[in-house]
Amino acid sequence: MRSFITALNKGILALAIVAGTAGAARADVLTIFSAVSTTNAMKEIIAAYKESGGEVRVSFGATSTLAKQIENGAPADIFLSADNKWMDRLEKAGFIKSETRVPVVANSLSLVKPKGSDFPMIKIEKGMKLKDALKGKRMAVGDTDHTAVGLYFKDAAKYLGIWEEVEPTLAMAPSVRAGLTMVERGEVGAGIVFKTSGLVSDKVEIIGDFPQESHGPITYPIAVVKSSANPAAAKFYAFLRTAPAKAAFAKYGFTPIME
Amino acid sequence: MELTDVESEAIYLSLKVSLWAVLVCLPLALPVSWLLARKEFIGKNVLNGIIHLPLVLPPVVMGYLLLVSFGSNGFLGAPLKEWFGITFVFSWRGAALAAAVVSFPLMVRTIRLSYEAMDRKLEAAAYTLGARPFRVFFTVTLPLILPGVLAGCILAYARCLGEFGATVTFVSNIPGETRTIPIAIYNLVQQPDGDAMAGRLVAISLVLAMVALVGAEFLNKRLAKILNG
Repeated sequence: MRSFITALNKGILALAIVAGTAGAARADVLTIFSAVSTTNAMKEIIAAYKESGGEVRVSFGATSTLAKQIENGAPADIFLSADNKWMDRLEKAGFIKSETRVPVVANSLSLVKPKGSDFPMIKIEKGMKLKDALKGKRMAVGDTDHTAVGLYFKDAAKYLGIWEEVEPTLAMAPSVRAGLTMVERGEVGAGIVFKTSGLVSDKVEIIGDFPQESHGPITYPIAVVKSSANPAAAKFYAFLRTAPAKAAFAKYGFTPIME
Repeated sequence: MELTDVESEAIYLSLKVSLWAVLVCLPLALPVSWLLARKEFIGKNVLNGIIHLPLVLPPVVMGYLLLVSFGSNGFLGAPLKEWFGITFVFSWRGAALAAAVVSFPLMVRTIRLSYEAMDRKLEAAAYTLGARPFRVFFTVTLPLILPGVLAGCILAYARCLGEFGATVTFVSNIPGETRTIPIAIYNLVQQPDGDAMAGRLVAISLVLAMVALVGAEFLNKRLAKILNG
């Protein structure tokens, strides 16, 4: 029995040492918090960055969730946000290094429908008959109170003068992805998604994009978190400016705009 | 504290959805828990497993499964819509369905324990006096397990009040239709300036939970008094 206890204790000690070294090694690893809509492109970019010798951990999540985690001390080095409002809030509260904030990519807002549905290919313009086209069905969109896609849509719908009549038809999903699922399943007549999300799904068709002036530029800002002392952050910034990184963003429908 | 329209709407909806969910669960939970407590049959473990799935699956997965099966193009949703004109997606009925599915295992577990704990000799005595099964159930078994049934209902009701993941995935967030208290809270917490309003709703749901628990305890005591003469 005693030898068993000794063996067990040795085992625990060995585990603790392994865990300890792993923890120490992790301090040099660059931790990136990235908006979930960038998942496909960022995965490719990070894979290429790793090949060039960098160590990265990445956490994809809703911009709002990630921002709240950073406010509560999550150990992130870099934050890539899907909208500017949350980045503004972090900047005002002093959670990011202002001088490192820069827009990385631009996106568009698209109207999509379930593939093969009879929803008409209407033109997106002022006074468009979006409600009539829905024929009593609902339209899916990320929540217009807090998701980036929903907030942009609210601005666009007001600009086009259709917000009042469209608002009661909305099915508000907790994220752009959840809204897309409702369109894919044919539960709604149409949906509003980021162009990048619409392009990755083969079960939806893009009817058209909202004009840029209707919702303002949709840019994804990146910034270094204040508590980060990781020198690799600058290296990753430089990597984002290279042609392969820009090509990966473009491949998934983003417009690279980082200078 | 004056309630805003958004708050009273969410409270009313939460109470309505939870009540309906419990009302739908109860008549199903009574026979199902009886089966599990009293009978041995082929596939009992499978049935038990299926009933408990909502307890172990992530709520978002449950919501997705509900969307796939009870959506208007789902294999259950489509015939229901065609034959009876009932739709679940984007309506409070869907929210009640999600709450019912998620809270069902809790109700079954609680009622099953009461079936197992009761003294079966009392049923046997009723049979020897010539009572038929139906009568035995309603005059002997049910009164004896009533505290357990009540506890199951309260537990399920509490679970329904807190249901979020399956609901928001299945019926999304529509003010006045599916925006229950937890969804309203989530929504506010996600907004850069919504913390204060979320705090109010959190306080309200704490009060609701306390009232439900204290009320249940009170009812339970009254019931015990009545049952023990």
